Amino acid sequence: MADHPSHDPLAGVPFDRVPPAGAYGVTGEPGIVASTADEPFIALVIARNGHAASVAGRLSRAFGSEVADRPRAAITAASTVIGTAPGRFLVLSKTETDLPGTLRALLGAEAAITEQGDAYVAFDLAGDKVPELLAKGALIDLDPRVFRPGDAATTVLAHVGVTLWRASETSWRVLVARSLEASFTRFLIASGAEFGLRLDGRAPGRG
Amino acid sequence: MSAPNRNRLASGGLIDRSKPLAFSFDGTDYHGYQGDTLASALLANGVRLVGRSFKYHRPRGIFSAGAEEPNALVELRAGARREPNTRATVTELFDGLEATSQNRWPSLALDALSVNRFLSPFLGAGFYYKTFMWPASFWEKLYEPVIRRAAGLGRAAVEEDPDHYEKATTFCDVLVIGAGPAGLMAALAAGRSGARVILADEDFLPGGGLNAEAGDVDRQPAPAYAAQVTAELASLPNVRVMSRTSVFGAYDSGTYGALERVSDHLAVPAPFQPRQRLWRIVARRAVLAAGATERPIVFGGNDRPGVMLAGAVGTYVQRHAALPGQAMALFANNDGAWRGMLAASVAGAHVETIVDVRTDVAPALVAAAQARGIRVLTGAQVIATHGKTLRRIEVATATGRERIAADTLAVSGGWSPSVHLTCHHGGKPAWNETLAAFVPGTCPPGLTVAGAAKGLFGLGACLRDGAAIGAEAAQALGFAVPAPDLPDMADEAFALTPFWHVAGSKGASFVDLQNDVTAKDVGIAHKEGFRSVELLKRYTTLGMATDQGRTSNVTGLAIMASLTGASIPETGTTIFRPPYTPVSLGALAGHHRGKDFRPVRLTPTHEWARAQGAVFVETGAWLRAQYFPRPGEKDWLETVSREVTAVRSSVGLIDVSTFGKIDLQGSDVGAFLDRVYINGFAALAVGKARYGVMLREDGLVMDDGTTARLAPEHYVMTTTTANAAKVYQHLEFCLQALWPELDVSLASVSEQWAQIALAGPRARDVLARVADGDVSNAALPFMGAIEGSVMGGVKARLFRLSFSGELGFEIAVPARHGAALAQALMQAGAEFGITPYGTEALGVMRIEKGHVSGNELSGQTTAGDLGFGRMASTKKDYIGRTLAARPGLTDPDRPSFVGFKPVDRARRLRAGAHFLKLGAPPDMANDQGYMTSVAYSPHLGHWIGLGLIKRGPERLGEHVRAYDPVRGEEIEVEICAPGFIDPEGVRLRG
Amino acid sequence: MRIPCPYCGERDAHEFAILGDATLTRPDPAAPDAETRFHDYVYLRDNPAGAHEEWWYHANGCRQWLRVKRDTRTHAISGAVAARADATSPRDAA
Repeated sequence: MADHPSHDPLAGVPFDRVPPAGAYGVTGEPGIVASTADEPFIALVIARNGHAASVAGRLSRAFGSEVADRPRAAITAASTVIGTAPGRFLVLSKTETDLPGTLRALLGAEAAITEQGDAYVAFDLAGDKVPELLAKGALIDLDPRVFRPGDAATTVLAHVGVTLWRASETSWRVLVARSLEASFTRFLIASGAEFGLRLDGRAPGRG
Repeated sequence: MSAPNRNRLASGGLIDRSKPLAFSFDGTDYHGYQGDTLASALLANGVRLVGRSFKYHRPRGIFSAGAEEPNALVELRAGARREPNTRATVTELFDGLEATSQNRWPSLALDALSVNRFLSPFLGAGFYYKTFMWPASFWEKLYEPVIRRAAGLGRAAVEEDPDHYEKATTFCDVLVIGAGPAGLMAALAAGRSGARVILADEDFLPGGGLNAEAGDVDRQPAPAYAAQVTAELASLPNVRVMSRTSVFGAYDSGTYGALERVSDHLAVPAPFQPRQRLWRIVARRAVLAAGATERPIVFGGNDRPGVMLAGAVGTYVQRHAALPGQAMALFANNDGAWRGMLAASVAGAHVETIVDVRTDVAPALVAAAQARGIRVLTGAQVIATHGKTLRRIEVATATGRERIAADTLAVSGGWSPSVHLTCHHGGKPAWNETLAAFVPGTCPPGLTVAGAAKGLFGLGACLRDGAAIGAEAAQALGFAVPAPDLPDMADEAFALTPFWHVAGSKGASFVDLQNDVTAKDVGIAHKEGFRSVELLKRYTTLGMATDQGRTSNVTGLAIMASLTGASIPETGTTIFRPPYTPVSLGALAGHHRGKDFRPVRLTPTHEWARAQGAVFVETGAWLRAQYFPRPGEKDWLETVSREVTAVRSSVGLIDVSTFGKIDLQGSDVGAFLDRVYINGFAALAVGKARYGVMLREDGLVMDDGTTARLAPEHYVMTTTTANAAKVYQHLEFCLQALWPELDVSLASVSEQWAQIALAGPRARDVLARVADGDVSNAALPFMGAIEGSVMGGVKARLFRLSFSGELGFEIAVPARHGAALAQALMQAGAEFGITPYGTEALGVMRIEKGHVSGNELSGQTTAGDLGFGRMASTKKDYIGRTLAARPGLTDPDRPSFVGFKPVDRARRLRAGAHFLKLGAPPDMANDQGYMTSVAYSPHLGHWIGLGLIKRGPERLGEHVRAYDPVRGEEIEVEICAPGFIDPEGVRLRG
Repeated sequence: MRIPCPYCGERDAHEFAILGDATLTRPDPAAPDAETRFHDYVYLRDNPAGAHEEWWYHANGCRQWLRVKRDTRTHAISGAVAARADATSPRDAA
């Protein structure tokens, strides 16, 4: 019996380079559309001892969405605030060009601010098959009946540490450490190939 | 090719006669149908000899119809996809299937090694232990290769597996294991409540025993009832039916392991489908409905092809419409086997004889058999078999012996509930006298057992119990369960007389068919004192290998019990560990094989470095540039020496983004640093950095690095690449568990900042062209740390630090600008011949400079050993201070850090060489320490080393031997101070 | 094994690193017998068969250090609290 070809969606892609944009896996309408962005502005807010509730309240008022001291994503058109640990919030903004400055002005001595805009690559995943794809790397329950829009988790996907949240009924976002972009993209392609995965080019971020 | 199979019934069964499937066995072409297993298709084609036994190479046939199969192991597929030891009984037939028998040479019919049979007196229990005791040297060269060829299973493919595998995790409220009558009803009851249910079944067709059942359930054929329930389950959005999925292990906290054979029933996986998928199923409750396994009776010649479990005969006839033979006999001790054979007879099987060890068989059964023309022998035993494949059985009755023609002998000694998963947390099964079987004992938390797996052997009872247990599982989780609509089923009485072994057998009587363990071997083990179950197993190999004794454990135990005179429960229990069925290594690895074994971290300048021709090296999870060869360079040493020389004479750059970088903010950071570093940090001025050493609480060095104070309440710490995660975790422990009152916030910024080290006498000239502000010695003195910008407005942190011993800077920019910074520095340094260098040159320069690194921070060295003794503050407490003062860690005889030069400068030093005094013999008593790091120093033109030697700093100038027995080398070396270059640090401060 | 992280919820043990006995308290370094006490603190461990309290670090989650009550015989986990006093919002404890 002649050996049949294997269907390796990563054949010929160097392991140490982010795989190029394009269609991977089965042909036809992709079950998953993945895109990445240098999220414009990200900062980590760490409430100082005793100030978590107050910080959450100030963030809620400033960003116009209920921020709680738990693993949830408070989402508006311009911003997302995600609880990652007690008293810790990752703030993503599309508009605040000096996000750390804005946050320092907002929170004063109640919080320590750390710029993280370059630490992560943000993956946007859309499509019905996203939960099935993520289940191939996740150790948490991402069943769409359980993991609802606005739910967030800091966890691992295929041994890569991530913060992920469900942005809407049909879209999920995953923050991945910049150094792991290539490995994580390989996981997405290998796991999404059976559904067909379209990887879109990097959305333009700030320069 | 679609002519009817020789032994196929004209109608009936769950096969699709309109879908013939071609396959081959040992090169001969056959065909079967959709719905066949390889075993049922072979039987339908009249193939009865399928393999040779493990040890004696005896001919073997198909023995069972399930996962318990000990005999019919074949190699499946060919080339890179060749898979050994697959059980023909659970291999779903597909078009083009290619199977080969194994463990035979030169052919299955004529096996040269079957002479092993005549050696069987020597190959009995304990043979490995007795025969090959000496001489020991013969083992590897002679015994093992011969045994490996003579006794064995199939051959693995030698090429890389072309298929891919994956892993996935899923969650449910109720996991139902097994889709037989109990499992289907359990899933239905739980599913109708709205609970998230997973029903996992190893077969490709849900239904279990219902698919081999001749009678009706709910006024329709049993298989149709199974299909109806399955269809309802599939229609429920909260229920997931997973066929071809074996739950193989029960792990902690309701986690179950399962293997889904996604593509094993296809010649080649569909495009981009995995071959298999390993599931981690997290279930709040689980229902084990794994059914039961029939067990044989042990008698002479019971391994002959044609001898088969009675339930398997029923399955082949009812489900596959395949006749295992043309003249069938039954040998049994229970009523269930009779009913199965009568049903097979009705379906068209030629059942001619029933032999039962009992004298009190129910008259109704006997009458029913006789009404079908079946000869009945009660109080009788099969004592021998004859024929290459079975032709005749020899039966002992009350009146004498008789040979009866039969090409198939169905055997049933009763049933063993499949309690395997109940044992995975250490629970022991309990002996049930009535059933003569082990039933579940203590189960893993959250798991309950239903149906035949707990010893219910009636179909009606299994259906009712499954519904009740499934409902109970859902109710326990708060789901409201609607009343079940149970099929009306009355069960026939269960009647069995325990019977294990025909004592007056002629010829070898096999207990364990897969391992060729006979009743005599159990007797030998008993005589020689290996009477506990665990010893019996290891001495005779009973219960080992791929079937793990599914059909042999209880029988072996019973025979041992009869020999010792003890009861079965006194003799022992069978304990099962995961996995329930074999799991391929590919599935366990999933996506993580080859270069995807684990995630790889790439530096911000990775692509840039590649363009520069870098050779990369793995350092932990990171891939770093090791060196940058240029055309014409003959080896790495030439390249590295060029890079070092370029830095020392002009300027070079290296990406050091891999260092751990931690931002510390708060009013107590200074106090905190004082507690985690041996040296003082509270007085560190804003704009300055300081080198620090951290200990573990046991007093040994954990890590080193620099911490800079960027603002009054803002510091940034660097750690070594290797210890980044460990140090962060340690600091969090200190803050959360030891000193929660401190106002300190930690944030890892390792990914946020790209960091490039610029070193060499022209470093400042280069930096000045890239930096937006003043980087003069006044603005950025040695150990200075400032925030500013580079490249016309890119935010930057600038540090005046040096690992190389040269004038050095480290420039940190937001990571997305890392590659641009490297390019800008290259451009700015072009006129100075700026040279990118890798980790090798970095290592050479730190050794020339006498800095410690990972080789010295080995977890066995103290601050004092490494020459940092005077750095340690005596004015404060810090982690590790108390135990660092222990006599064992302050012994002046401890090997301490110094440098080494070869006395003959032409010779090469070796890391790992041990130091001996001149003339001292090489033994442990004379061991003085060892060489930790070596490098060829282009600056000095010879090899240099760093190492730890007893009282090193007191012995500068002394000559010792560097003894390297691994390479067979011995070199006389001179002890020197560890700084080989610019020991006063003039260059640093330039 | 799954550990109920007070912040993240129940998580697989793969996300955690274990440090060991959480019933020990770092000794006072100023005590006259500090060396003996530190020796005990660093090296001497009870190894109970049954209920135990251990430090687990949620490395791939919220990075909290947790005190986890675990039965060493069965791996049954009866609870977990953050090292900082208040489990759900420890930093508000002050």
